[in-house]
Amino acid sequence: MNKYILILPLIFYSSLVGASANLELQTVLIDLNNKASLQRGAKIFMNNCFGCHSLKYQRYVKFIDHLSLDQETIEKNLIFTTDKNGKPTKIGSLMLNAVNSDHSKESFGIMPPDLTLIARSRGPDWLYTFLMSFYQDESRPFGVNNKLYPNVSMPHVLWWMEGIKKPINSDLSEFEYVKKGNITEIEYKQSTTDLVNFLTYVSEPAQLDRYRIGFWVMLFLVIFSFVAFLLKIEYWKDID
Amino acid sequence: MNKLMAWIDERLPVSNFVKNHLSQYYAPKNFNFFYYFGALAIFVFILQIVTGIFLTIHYKPDAVQAFASVEYIMRDVEWGWLIRYMHSTGASFFFIIIYLHMFRAMMYGSYKNPRELLWIFGMLIFVLLMAEAFMGYLLPWGQMSYWGAQVIISLFGAIPFIGESLATWIRGDYVISDATLNRFFAFHVIAIPLLLFALIYLHLAALHTTGSNNPDGIEIKNYKDENGIPLDGIPFHPYYTVKDVFGLSFFLIIFAFIVFFLPELGGYFLEKDNFVPANPLKTPEHIVPVWYFTPFYAILRAIPDKFGGVLVMGLAIFVLFLLPWIDRCPVKSMRYRSRVYKILLTLFAISFIGLGYIGMNPVTPILTWVGRLFTLIYFGFFIVLYFISPKEKTKNVPDRVTMHE
Repeated sequence: MNKYILILPLIFYSSLVGASANLELQTVLIDLNNKASLQRGAKIFMNNCFGCHSLKYQRYVKFIDHLSLDQETIEKNLIFTTDKNGKPTKIGSLMLNAVNSDHSKESFGIMPPDLTLIARSRGPDWLYTFLMSFYQDESRPFGVNNKLYPNVSMPHVLWWMEGIKKPINSDLSEFEYVKKGNITEIEYKQSTTDLVNFLTYVSEPAQLDRYRIGFWVMLFLVIFSFVAFLLKIEYWKDID
Repeated sequence: MNKLMAWIDERLPVSNFVKNHLSQYYAPKNFNFFYYFGALAIFVFILQIVTGIFLTIHYKPDAVQAFASVEYIMRDVEWGWLIRYMHSTGASFFFIIIYLHMFRAMMYGSYKNPRELLWIFGMLIFVLLMAEAFMGYLLPWGQMSYWGAQVIISLFGAIPFIGESLATWIRGDYVISDATLNRFFAFHVIAIPLLLFALIYLHLAALHTTGSNNPDGIEIKNYKDENGIPLDGIPFHPYYTVKDVFGLSFFLIIFAFIVFFLPELGGYFLEKDNFVPANPLKTPEHIVPVWYFTPFYAILRAIPDKFGGVLVMGLAIFVLFLLPWIDRCPVKSMRYRSRVYKILLTLFAISFIGLGYIGMNPVTPILTWVGRLFTLIYFGFFIVLYFISPKEKTKNVPDRVTMHE
C-alpha cells in the first residue's frame, strides 16, 4: 500500500519534468523505498563521482536513517576525506570534497558542479539519459562526447563499467561498442538507475517522509471534512 | 467564569465585540461557493505569517549563505521541509484565492455603492500582496529568484530621466546583490506584512460597516423585522463559522495534497531553475515569473516599447481600482444583468487566463499576437463596460434573496 502511494506521484513528477526537455529523454523508474538500490547508488557515487562533485548540502550521518547503514560502514566505506588536521572527516559533516577550483578549471575548463540538487533542477530522466549518452569522439579533450549535452566538459567516468560506444552513422542514431566494460549492458542500466535513484534521494531526502505522512494527513482531512459537512448540515437545518 | 467575563467587559468590550462581529453580525443567508474565499484568504494570511516566523528563525539573508540556509531548512531542521512547503504552496494559493475572491466581486457587483472603499482597500491589499510575493521570491537566492528580480527591477529603468537612478536606488547596487537581498528581506518579513495587517483590518471594518453583498446583489438591510434584524440575514456565528470550517477543511485537502505529493507542481509553484544557486554571470535560458504574475507579464511583453509596456502593465492594475465608477449599471449581480455583461465578463476571464498562459511560455510571433489580442480584450472590457453599463437591459431584481442549492 505505502509503496504504491510513493510511486504514483513520482511517475507523475518524472513525466512532467521530461516533457519540457528538447531531446527525448529515457524514463527511469525511481523507487526510494528500494534501500539496496540507494545503497548501491551511494557506493557508485562515492567511488566514481565524489572526487570531483561534492554533495555539499547533505550530511553523511543522514545515511544511517535514510539508507539503513550503520555508522561504522559509513566511516569505513563512504568517507574518504580528512579535515584540516588530517583526521578522517566526522560523520556529522557536510559532504564536501577536496577539489581545488583553480586546478579543476585548468583540467576541465570549469568547476565541476555540486550535485546535491541536480536531480531537482534537471530531473531524474535527464540524469539517466545523460549517463547513457556518452560516445567516442576523438575531437574532444577526453575522447568522448555526449549526445544529450554536446561538448560537455565531463569525461565518461563510468566507461570502465559501460565500455565505450562509437556512432555508426553521423546523426548519432545508432552505436556499436568498441571497448567492452566489465559489466553487461543490462547491468550498466541497473547501476545507472541506482545512481540516479541515489541522487534523487539526495536532492530531497524529505521525500522519504512526505509521501508516508501525507497519506495520513489526507486521510485525517477527508474524515474531518465529512464531520464538518455533517455539522454544517445540522446547523443549517433551521435556515429556510 | 461569568464573573471573570464581567470583570473584563468593564475594562475591555470583549463581549460586545463578539456580539457585533460574530454572534449578532447578520450576513445574507444565500452565500454560495464563491463566498468561501474571504475567510480562506485570512486563513492563508495567518498561515504565511506563522510559517514565515519559523522560516525566519533558520533563514540567513546573506548572498553567500541564503541558498545553503534554505537547503539547511529542507534537510537538517526538524519538519523544516514541511514549514517551507506550506509557505511556498501558501504563496501560490494566496493568489488563487484572491483572484477568485476578486472575480466573485465582479460577478455580483460587490464593489458598487456603498462598497467602493471596501473594494479599494481590497485592491491595495492585492498590490501589496504582489510586492510581498515578489520580494519573498528573491530570498531563496536561486537562479530564478535572482534573474526574475533583475528583470522586474530593470523595468523601473525604462522610466525616462530618473529610471536608471531609481532602479539603482531600489537595488541598493548596480546589480541584484547582497544589499538587495537584505532590504527585500526587511520588506518581506516586516514592512509589507504590517501594512497588509492594517489594510486587512480596514477591509474588514469597511465590510462590517456596509454588510456583505450576496449573489443576488440585494441589500438585506432594506427588509428588517420588528427587532431591526434583517429578514434575510443569519448570525455569522454559528452559521457561517460552521460553514467556513467545512470550506476550510475541504480547501486543506487540496492544499495538503500539493504540500505532500506535488510541492513543485511540475515547476509552477517551485521553478526547477531555482534549485540552482544564483549566478550573476549565467543567465537562464527562459526567465519566467511565477504563474501568478504571468498575466501582467504577458501584457508587458505585448507592447513593443519597453516603457510603454511598463505603463500599460501598471494601467492594467490601476484600472481595477476605478471599477466602481467604470461600471455604472445600477443592478449589482450578473444574475439580473444583461447578456452583454455576462459575455463581457466571460471574455475578460478568458483573456486573463490566456494572458497567464502566454506569460509562462517563451516568446513566439504567434503567442505575441495572441497576447496582444488578449490585452485588447482585457482593456476592452473596461472601455465597453463604461459605455454600455448605464443603458443595460436588466431583469427585475427581487426584493428578497433567493436560495439555490
